[in-house]
Amino acid sequence: MMKPVFQYLSRFIDLSEEEFSLLVGFIEIRHFNKKVKLVDIGEQEGYINFVMKGLIRKYFYRHAEEVVTQLAKEGELICSSVSFLTGERSDYIVESIETATVLSISAANVEKIYALGPRMERMGRLIIIEWLLQKEYWENARIKQDSKTRFLHFIQANPDLPIRVPQKILASYLNIKPETFSRYKHLLTRPYRHSQVLAGS
Amino acid sequence: MVLNNSHTKYLENIHQYFNRFLPLTDEEFTDLTNYFELREFDKKVQVVKMGDIDNYFNIILKGLARKYMVVGKKDVTLQLSIEGQIIHSEISFNTRTPSDTIVETIEPTVFLSMSYENLQKSYASNPKLEKLGRLLISYLFIKKDYRDYSQLKKTTRERFLDYMHSHSDMLQRVPQKYIASYLNIKPETFSRLKHLMKHRKEHHAGGQQS
Repeated sequence: MMKPVFQYLSRFIDLSEEEFSLLVGFIEIRHFNKKVKLVDIGEQEGYINFVMKGLIRKYFYRHAEEVVTQLAKEGELICSSVSFLTGERSDYIVESIETATVLSISAANVEKIYALGPRMERMGRLIIIEWLLQKEYWENARIKQDSKTRFLHFIQANPDLPIRVPQKILASYLNIKPETFSRYKHLLTRPYRHSQVLAGS
Repeated sequence: MVLNNSHTKYLENIHQYFNRFLPLTDEEFTDLTNYFELREFDKKVQVVKMGDIDNYFNIILKGLARKYMVVGKKDVTLQLSIEGQIIHSEISFNTRTPSDTIVETIEPTVFLSMSYENLQKSYASNPKLEKLGRLLISYLFIKKDYRDYSQLKKTTRERFLDYMHSHSDMLQRVPQKYIASYLNIKPETFSRLKHLMKHRKEHHAGGQQS
């Protein structure tokens, strides 16, 4: 079950089996039904979560409107990161879209992992650099790309997600007005239908 | 690194800045400074051009710089940084790819810079620096998240007022159009809000006198 986590962490440092088995001792397995809040606004984020199965989103409210800032599928990390890092109350909600299984490490256990030595510090640093760069990429895309380009890039990188994520949530994540998003749907359904026809023939 | 007196004073500030994350002894800090270099630029110099691979991580010792993107014929300002703050093209520096963003000085600026290569060497020289690096990056991430959150969450007026409240000196140092762009406020709206704010202050001051 832990293999995807090993693969994920191995992107950052060459992790030995022994080191990884130490880390596994800090991991908790948590299950959530769909539409369950892992963290609510005003709560302190206690965990960093690796998605084993399912789909989770992160969002906040702008007045009554939900603003989606992250969608995490299998193999990705999600948490209310600032709250996790600072211990302050969360400005965001982290909520399952589908039934989800996550491998979680608590804030206290993350500190114990760092105490194992500089290699773990390095791994943590490289993971947080990746979080930072994801924000930069996202900001650049929002500024530089028009909404259609953002839409196309997203479905190219995540061909499974338009089927798994409710349209309203995806439109918010891509910062595309719902009515504009509807106009792009043909870009999606045509190749999708096409591949279904091929699969059926 | 060749230092004059004012540089030495700046370095003390940097040592204190690092101490906020992880205390370093004087000896450890001096060892670390060997990996840094001082880089001085005139105003309006592109320190990182579009398409460059950014080779430096910069702490501003003196001056002011901005980071921006060119979209069509427009500049979009992404960051405005003053003394004690860090500025570089993060994606380019960390992934060793050509930069999409430009880093440019607004005033004559002195950077305390570490090259990518020296950064890796410094991590190898003292394992404590791995922790310092992690905490520093976490801090930068948190700042970035707050900025994204407030850009998305706040109204134009709130963005303007909050920025003017926390960065009241910036209007004197930075061309207004850069601040407006940074706050994603149209230049004409920015002028109107500024006028309104000034008018209110005068009105308020007048009220106190009477």
